[in-house]
Amino acid sequence: MTSHSQYGIAAATLVILALPFLLAGNRFLGFVLGMTLISLLWATGMNLLSGFVGLMPLMFAGIAGIAGYAMVYFTRTAGWSFWLAMPVASLLAAIIGVALGLPALRLKGFYFTLCSLVIQSVLTLAFIFFPKFTNGDTGINEIAPPDWFGGTALTGVRFDFALAVAAVAGILFSTWLTQTHLGKKFVAVREDDVLAESIGIDVVRTRITAFFIVSLYAGIGGCFYSAYVGFISPRAFDVLVSLNIWLFVTFGGRGTLLGPIIGTAILAPIPFLLQDLQAFKDILSGTLIILVTLLMPGGIYGAWLKLLSRKRGREVQTTQVREQGV
Amino acid sequence: MSDSSLLIVLSTLSTGLIMGAIFSLVAAGVTIVYGCVWLPNASNGQFFLLAALVVWTFTLSFGWSSLAASLAVIVLGVLLAVVLELVLIRRLYNAPNRNVAYFVVTLGLTQILSGIFSLTYAKWSDQFSVPPVIEGITMLGPFPISNNRLLAMVVSLGVLGLLFALLRYHPYGRALRAVFQNREAAALRGVNVRAIYRLSFVLGSTIIFLGGILFAFAYSFDLSVAWTMSITAFAIMIVGGPGSVLGALVVGMTFGFTQAIVSIFASPTVAMFSYLGAMLIMLLFQPNGLFKR
Amino acid sequence: MKLLEVSGLSKSFGGVAALANVVGHSIEGETLGMIGPNGSGKTTFVNVVSGHVRADRGTLTFAGVNIARMRPHQLAEVGLCRTYQAVRVFSELSTRQNIENARLLLEDRGLGAAEVRELTEWLRLDRNLDKQAGSLTLFEQRRLELLMRLVLKPRLIMLDEPVGGLAVTEVNEMITLLQELKARCSLFVIEHTMRVIRELADRVMVLIAGEKVADGPPSEILQNQRVIDEYLGNAAHA
Repeated sequence: MTSHSQYGIAAATLVILALPFLLAGNRFLGFVLGMTLISLLWATGMNLLSGFVGLMPLMFAGIAGIAGYAMVYFTRTAGWSFWLAMPVASLLAAIIGVALGLPALRLKGFYFTLCSLVIQSVLTLAFIFFPKFTNGDTGINEIAPPDWFGGTALTGVRFDFALAVAAVAGILFSTWLTQTHLGKKFVAVREDDVLAESIGIDVVRTRITAFFIVSLYAGIGGCFYSAYVGFISPRAFDVLVSLNIWLFVTFGGRGTLLGPIIGTAILAPIPFLLQDLQAFKDILSGTLIILVTLLMPGGIYGAWLKLLSRKRGREVQTTQVREQGV
Repeated sequence: MSDSSLLIVLSTLSTGLIMGAIFSLVAAGVTIVYGCVWLPNASNGQFFLLAALVVWTFTLSFGWSSLAASLAVIVLGVLLAVVLELVLIRRLYNAPNRNVAYFVVTLGLTQILSGIFSLTYAKWSDQFSVPPVIEGITMLGPFPISNNRLLAMVVSLGVLGLLFALLRYHPYGRALRAVFQNREAAALRGVNVRAIYRLSFVLGSTIIFLGGILFAFAYSFDLSVAWTMSITAFAIMIVGGPGSVLGALVVGMTFGFTQAIVSIFASPTVAMFSYLGAMLIMLLFQPNGLFKR
Repeated sequence: MKLLEVSGLSKSFGGVAALANVVGHSIEGETLGMIGPNGSGKTTFVNVVSGHVRADRGTLTFAGVNIARMRPHQLAEVGLCRTYQAVRVFSELSTRQNIENARLLLEDRGLGAAEVRELTEWLRLDRNLDKQAGSLTLFEQRRLELLMRLVLKPRLIMLDEPVGGLAVTEVNEMITLLQELKARCSLFVIEHTMRVIRELADRVMVLIAGEKVADGPPSEILQNQRVIDEYLGNAAHA
């Protein structure tokens, strides 16, 4: 791991943990922070798949939705504590995610993207048309926040801080992962799966493992989303959500450790801060997607590193443009 | 057979034919662009809707005749396609993973168009219907079909027929098919590959716009048709075989009938499920679809 | 002992036979060569043996183990690996990272740091460890390919056109390198230039239109009438 990333991650951790307290006075900004932190958790997870040549997992939001709805079911109908429901629901979503994603993972490029889009569409339609579990398009409201010590609930600044801890945990986990053999296999498979297989890496198993971990991130985020916002509907977990998270990752710089953090920090708060101009959200989002694809495939972080290397000369570029890592 | 069952059968038959014809047309447009330029146009539904909405504006707000409106939309559509090709599409002709890049870019385009629609048309109306091109009904036994819908079907099938003939007999068409199959070989034979890309993008997009126009005359619609049309068109393309116009026709008609039959028993969303399911199965087992390009 | 053994190997694509009843074997310590004109089925043969394509019929074993249904990563574990005609490295990653990826298979059972360093120096990549692999010259990338295979501790490396695209001086260097490589591992060289085969191979299989037409030392092959008629004669036109 380069020193850039080390300092960057350390700085990001400190900032993320401090922000809930800095914004304590303003509930609106606190909420924006909370939503951004959930997006950050999601982006960190999706980044594991979206490497340099990677896959665009459009079914990500659907998996988050499975966990979100399951968590509500466990807490409401089965009376479980959030802290039991969340891991179980996330695990369930991850298993279903792998089962659904498995056949798609054999496919390359566009066919994978299309397949995961289809799966996402099926999931969204399932959320709408099985009202027994999901209350259909109306959604489920008055979802209780997580229970906390002494019979209280986790709300307000404390919940924001809990989200901050979760986001940081997610970042540190994925950072650690990049140093492991498994993490390196992820990268090798993403970069060139034929070559990876030739040098002894079990591509299928690596993809399944990666997908499982990514689905866990999706699921945990989904559970937190349900409890934090207090209201979920099929819209909350549709393809646009997947697309947005992908945008955060790509805009920041996919395949890097800092990219998702940068991308989410810049883009996630925008729809909330642009309150009155909500309708422009789609147009802005669409324009960014096009710009990023055409002009900035390396994202902001990639562009910045290129700029740095041009000042210092070629040798520096190589280790820092692409880190062996997520 | 009782009168009411006969009516149901005839109604299903006619809906199937009309919807199928329009589906086939749009799918043909999508498949041509994908087969040739490797451009999966995720925004095809939005193009479809755009054409329908603009026809609505021209006929209702401007008071133009349906025919004039249609021609105007075609012309504008061609212009739009040319501009898009210039500004967006040609930049990615040589990109690696071209089809994913195009898919993503068109997803962005979908968002932009959808945002524009919610800012404009969504504010003006929930449901849109356009005055008919020709009045009157034709009786199919005891069952009345509006002449307008018949016209939509006839024009769709006619254009598909022309498209077929173009691909088979006209030099442009043959060049297109050569590029479909192998662009390097085609280039070696002197085909101007870039010009063919341009042509097929404009042609394919215009066909999609035409589909939207015909749909607007046949049915009233709301903004959600964009999404449903996109999925249907992709499903038809994948099942029929990317690049195959014949596949688009056969599968399009099949899906049209499926929709008609399913609508008797259940909501059209069930049909949507079946399209998605068919697409999924195809992707997993036979990604090249049923028909060759 | 015999390493690679094939018998009755056949593969057709859409009715066209790319391989027809190919029989052959390689012996440990010996360098096997394979030549044939374009379209003779060499590539298909390599793809079948290296697990990228499944044969229609025939047996395929390596050191006695049936490898007919194995995926490439399983073959690497058994000691069989290959390089590619169009060189393949992880171009966005650094040289060092490329080597590290190759070491993932064997983990602790693999070569120690000192041995890897020695190999890196021998292949003259020690100055380029932090460079992006995609920015290396073609010759350097081919050497990196070799290094990544050696790290797998293979028993047999299949080299698919190892001098393709190299300049004349580089071809000479590569041949010398490969001759030194023989001491570390058995080789199977697939080429369409006779010169490389003549200098490296102990025994050559000749493939023409999917059939094995001759099998013997290079000197013998060069005298074989059918080979001369159908291949060497054609080589003048190639």
